[in-house]
Amino acid sequence: MTLPPPEWLELLRFPFMQRALVAGLLSGSLGGLLGSVAVLRQLSFFSDALGHSALLGISLGVLLGVEPTLVLIPFAVLFALAVSQLVERSQLPSDALLNIVYSSSLAIAVVLLRLLSSRAGSLEQLLFGDILAVSWGDLLLQALLLAGVLTYLLLTRRSQILVSLDRGLAVSQGVAVGWQRLLFVVVLAVVVALSIKAVGVLLISAFVVIPACSARLISGSFATYLPLASGIGASCGLIGLLSSGVFNLPSGPCVVIVQLLAFLAALLVRASRPPLRGWG
Amino acid sequence: MLKTVPSIGSGSATSTATGPEVVLQVEGLTVGWGAAASDRPVVENVSFRLAAETDTALVGPNGAGKSTLVQALLGILPRQAGSVRVLGAPLSPHGRLPAAVRAQVAYLPQQVSVRGRFPLTVAEFVGLGWEPSGLRLPWAGRRERRAAVHAALERTACADLAARLISELSTGQWKRVLLAFCVVRPRRLLVLDEAQAGLDPQAAEQFLRLLFDLRRSEGWAVLQISHDLEMVRRTCDRVLCLNRSLRCQGSPEVALSPAQLERLYGRGYVPYHHHHHREAGAAPPPPAAPPQP
Repeated sequence: MTLPPPEWLELLRFPFMQRALVAGLLSGSLGGLLGSVAVLRQLSFFSDALGHSALLGISLGVLLGVEPTLVLIPFAVLFALAVSQLVERSQLPSDALLNIVYSSSLAIAVVLLRLLSSRAGSLEQLLFGDILAVSWGDLLLQALLLAGVLTYLLLTRRSQILVSLDRGLAVSQGVAVGWQRLLFVVVLAVVVALSIKAVGVLLISAFVVIPACSARLISGSFATYLPLASGIGASCGLIGLLSSGVFNLPSGPCVVIVQLLAFLAALLVRASRPPLRGWG
Repeated sequence: MLKTVPSIGSGSATSTATGPEVVLQVEGLTVGWGAAASDRPVVENVSFRLAAETDTALVGPNGAGKSTLVQALLGILPRQAGSVRVLGAPLSPHGRLPAAVRAQVAYLPQQVSVRGRFPLTVAEFVGLGWEPSGLRLPWAGRRERRAAVHAALERTACADLAARLISELSTGQWKRVLLAFCVVRPRRLLVLDEAQAGLDPQAAEQFLRLLFDLRRSEGWAVLQISHDLEMVRRTCDRVLCLNRSLRCQGSPEVALSPAQLERLYGRGYVPYHHHHHREAGAAPPPPAAPPQP
């Protein structure tokens, strides 16, 4: 006599669940990879502002009657460039400025979406993510983006580290600091824009920040830091989306709760074991 | 001993048959808080040259513009006017130098503030100093990099720190590691911003010996900001006295004479050892020879 397969294994037969799990792997891995540099650059809050502003991009897409994802990428890139220029040129502290930007763009977006409610679909789906909304086309785009981000970070590793450490030291070593900063912000904006569907605008920054911080706690070298951040992000994405499917809960919050558990585990590991060292 | 110097970059010749190579040439350099000509300059109309194998000190009171001047000639800060040439190559208005020239310049900043746990080992950090600028995969030249890093860490007495995270270093250890970052590849110009601040006397002495060795055996030109006038007297060949503009330049005996110091630091400035020796009825000691390696 054979027992019936457990519920979560049954779920894997559905194509939407298969897409969701691949989406969790890819977006988690991407978030962890890019987040590892973003947290060293102290751009955690910037990614939060970027995520919130994405809702404004979506509402503009709805207003114009264009597929929101098509509007979202150029919107996020332009928004990121404008905000980073504002942060650099204004005399205000960046955290205060980013707070103004993200809260006001969220307010405008919610009002716009409420006015366009017949066309906008569920606000909750946009805020917290919807695994059903992820298509094979989205996954292909994410896979290409992951390959691109990995290549970009490997090739510019020296510049990324030096810029994170000290601007003067980086310039003295021939790093084009301005271009490096701009390019990183653009890549971050594209990743945030493409991960919104599965993760939701409110929690996208957690994908960037939490796996990277967990890896930062237990890595004893840069050689282990990036793979660890990416690996933690990917496994949390996978487990979180599977839980979301099994318990029929919103995908974004499920992943973030798993990320939080991973972070707590990293804190415990940090307290009890020496850090992981890699090759020199 | 003069080294044969490869000519890098276009423009004026960098070595002559009669004298040592000019590594750094600064003409009429003016620097403000912004690049616009209307911004009030912090440093005005500064001109000087650095020759190979020399150790030049940049001295002056707090707020004189020493760090600003150094950062402008490295391209870290924009300049309002003037020109800078490194090994004959002009520094562009945007602070760019040809990659081959840039690779020969090392800068040791006053401090690098690492916030929080930074997952980068000392060996990995020093390895970044060895790598040329531009796109490069992390595993390219791994064996050569490892050997160069090992040698640099040995040379700066940092070998025991190789596996430590840079965020776990004390101020003095950081200075030594930064110096290892500078010496991990052959260079021609080393710019130091108060490099010895935070070092204990033994580490400071090792530091001076290494600088002496680098310029005498490898032909480096050293420019260092310092408040330690005794060290400057003891080890430097030339002194640049800065207070918004260059007030004087010359040998330590000339540039650090009591009259010049009073002019630079203000009326009433009496160097401690002068004061001390006057009270004891003795003449000030003659400048000592540089430390022998």
